[in-house]
Amino acid sequence: MTPGVIGKGIRIKGELRGEEDLAVEGRVEGTIALKHNHLIVENSAVITADVDVQNITIKGEMRGNTAASDKVEISTEAKVIGDIRAPRIVMEEGARFRGVVEMDVKLPPGLL
Amino acid sequence: MESEKTVLGPTLEIQGEIEGEEDLVIQGKIQGKIISKKNLTVDGSGKVEASVHTATLDVSGVVIGNVEATDKVEVKREGKMVGDIKAPRVIIADGAKFKGNIEMGVD
Repeated sequence: MTPGVIGKGIRIKGELRGEEDLAVEGRVEGTIALKHNHLIVENSAVITADVDVQNITIKGEMRGNTAASDKVEISTEAKVIGDIRAPRIVMEEGARFRGVVEMDVKLPPGLL
Repeated sequence: MESEKTVLGPTLEIQGEIEGEEDLVIQGKIQGKIISKKNLTVDGSGKVEASVHTATLDVSGVVIGNVEATDKVEVKREGKMVGDIKAPRVIIADGAKFKGNIEMGVD
């Protein structure tokens, strides 16, 4: 399914919830909950929100804490300020990030 | 990915404020306030409980709230609307449900 798009000219302030994949090109301030879906933060997007998703691909600017049940991808052109919690996190070269990354690392016994 | 039209899909729920400078189609549920400089469409599956400022509004779904349009409000035959309308042009189709005040700026 091709995701719905919140275009460049759209600004949302508040709570956004849904059960479909979504791409954001505009601005969202508040919270985004797409627990079983994929959120794409496009280059032009500015997001100031706590985000709860299955997958997220960040190419734009994001401030806020992110929890993903599957995977977080921070692309080379992204700027992210906030904490990230997910089983899989990919950060590309060039991405700018400030925050805590928590991947639930299981160390071999005897360490730490 | 360029787009000049945003579709808020049927499962999306937004509580808060939406401001738009491009055409906006609502298929989900919106509670709060919508400010649009372009065309706003509430599709059959759309449910809007909000005060609305827009250029044009087409209602095929449900709208509860007051609407101020600089150009036109059209309640389509499958549309339902409860609230006051202020707009120079208002069209209510045969079959549409509407309850509220209409002000067209008639002298």
